[in-house]
Amino acid sequence: MPHLAVNNLRAKYGALEVLKGVSFSIEKGQVVALVGPSGSGKSTVLRTLVGLTPVTGGNVTIHDDKIDYASSGSLRRARDQMAIVFQQYNLFQNMRIIDNVTVAPVKIKKRPKDEARADAERLLAMVGLADKLNAFPDQLSGGQQQRVAIARALALHPEILLLDEVTSALDPELVNEVLDSIRQLAKDGMTMILVSHEMAFVREVADKVVFMDGGSVVEEGLPEVLFDAPKTDRAREFFGKILRH
Amino acid sequence: MNYNFQYGVVWDNFGALMEGAWLTFQLGVFAFAGGILIGLLCASIKTYGPWPLRLLVDTYVVFITNTPALIQIYFLYFGLPELGVRWSNEACVLIGLVLNAGAYLTMILRAGFLSVRKNELEAGLTLGFSVVQQIRYIIVPHIAKAVYPALANFFIVVLVMGTSVGALIGVDELTGQAINLSSINYRWLEYFSVVAVIYVVLTFVASVGLALLGRWAFRVRVRIF
Ligand SMILES: Nc1ncnc2c1ncn2[C@@H]1O[C@H](COP(=O)(O)OP(=O)(O)O)[C@@H](O)[C@H]1O
Ligand SMILES: [Mg+2]
Repeated sequence: MPHLAVNNLRAKYGALEVLKGVSFSIEKGQVVALVGPSGSGKSTVLRTLVGLTPVTGGNVTIHDDKIDYASSGSLRRARDQMAIVFQQYNLFQNMRIIDNVTVAPVKIKKRPKDEARADAERLLAMVGLADKLNAFPDQLSGGQQQRVAIARALALHPEILLLDEVTSALDPELVNEVLDSIRQLAKDGMTMILVSHEMAFVREVADKVVFMDGGSVVEEGLPEVLFDAPKTDRAREFFGKILRH
Repeated sequence: MNYNFQYGVVWDNFGALMEGAWLTFQLGVFAFAGGILIGLLCASIKTYGPWPLRLLVDTYVVFITNTPALIQIYFLYFGLPELGVRWSNEACVLIGLVLNAGAYLTMILRAGFLSVRKNELEAGLTLGFSVVQQIRYIIVPHIAKAVYPALANFFIVVLVMGTSVGALIGVDELTGQAINLSSINYRWLEYFSVVAVIYVVLTFVASVGLALLGRWAFRVRVRIF
């Protein structure tokens, strides 16, 4: 039984159908990379999974349990199991770093304050930010803010982590510090779906690559197979272009 | 110039001036607090409400901000009794100031509502925040931080300029009290120079207080003067 399965998922923005029946699945502890040209619907897949963009067809299951996005209870359970990290970090600008990480565990999960704080300190140390607990987001670099966003997502102990181009807003020299944190999570067996243009990194950590174009999955497979010997013309063209340089 | 300054009578009546200053302060605080409630309601309607309500709010704001506060208060004090509604002069000033401040605060707070970043709200949603928790932990702190300096400035405007309008319908706030006392013994210069100093002290205390509050509560820097 897959950890999470996306079955013929459809979504629209207004009249524009952005996902035209997307299917893929991920096993527990796996890392799946969604790749494809800009505008192909990768972000929309992740947004749909956490209920930010409405589902107009198909379904999503976690451990074979269908998520009913229309039911607030089912949606809450889904959001308990999944956490998302956005390209633009989306930290709470009015809160200190430590509060960004503890606010959801304390206010929503009602965990004891000191327990949540200890947990947050451990996570922030893991992403290399033990010395920034009392800073505000606007006092950190982009890479540091992105690592806070990862710690904030992990503080709810999700079973599945969704990462949407978490390095593409960063200066090149800051990319590695964020990738290191993700690498560590992969080693620890976290189930992750990541959207990324860092093909070398995808090849290194992903167990499976799902190539999307125009709102559909064109081809999926092992990274080395998809990158080096794609079966479809569209994938050959895409990977040929971005892997050559 | 051979005017002979005599501050003695002013000191003799200093207690009465302080009572006026206290009333000025209370009027300023209550007018501002009432205005904030109206402003919050109207700004949320303008941001999230249906169009008929938005139109109503627009009408209110345009009407109030384009007429003098004095006219609005005269309307309540001299106009409403014609319709059988009779409020005390203090009530007329306070209600007039609340309605007036409410319109300006609607515009100030509206800018704050627009500053709330959609992506923080989405982050809140996916972390499991309810609507009330989003308002409490994301929307309100944002608005507060964005508009705090403008709010602090506007409080001073209400405190000094707004409340003194009361003198014209016989409310004994600081200006009114000074007019009453000086027309007894014609020491206008003495009374009004002292009153000017009291106003400056009042606004200075309020400014420093608001600046410290802003720094402590919302991490904003507010200019004092
Ligand atoms: N909020 C939105 N409103 C309307 N259209 C959108 C919105 N977000 C994305 N789209 C459109 O949906 C398509 C897929 O976008 P997206 O999922 O962000 O692609 P990707 O992440 O693969 O670049 C694009 O054509 C994009 O223009
Ligand atoms: Mg995207």
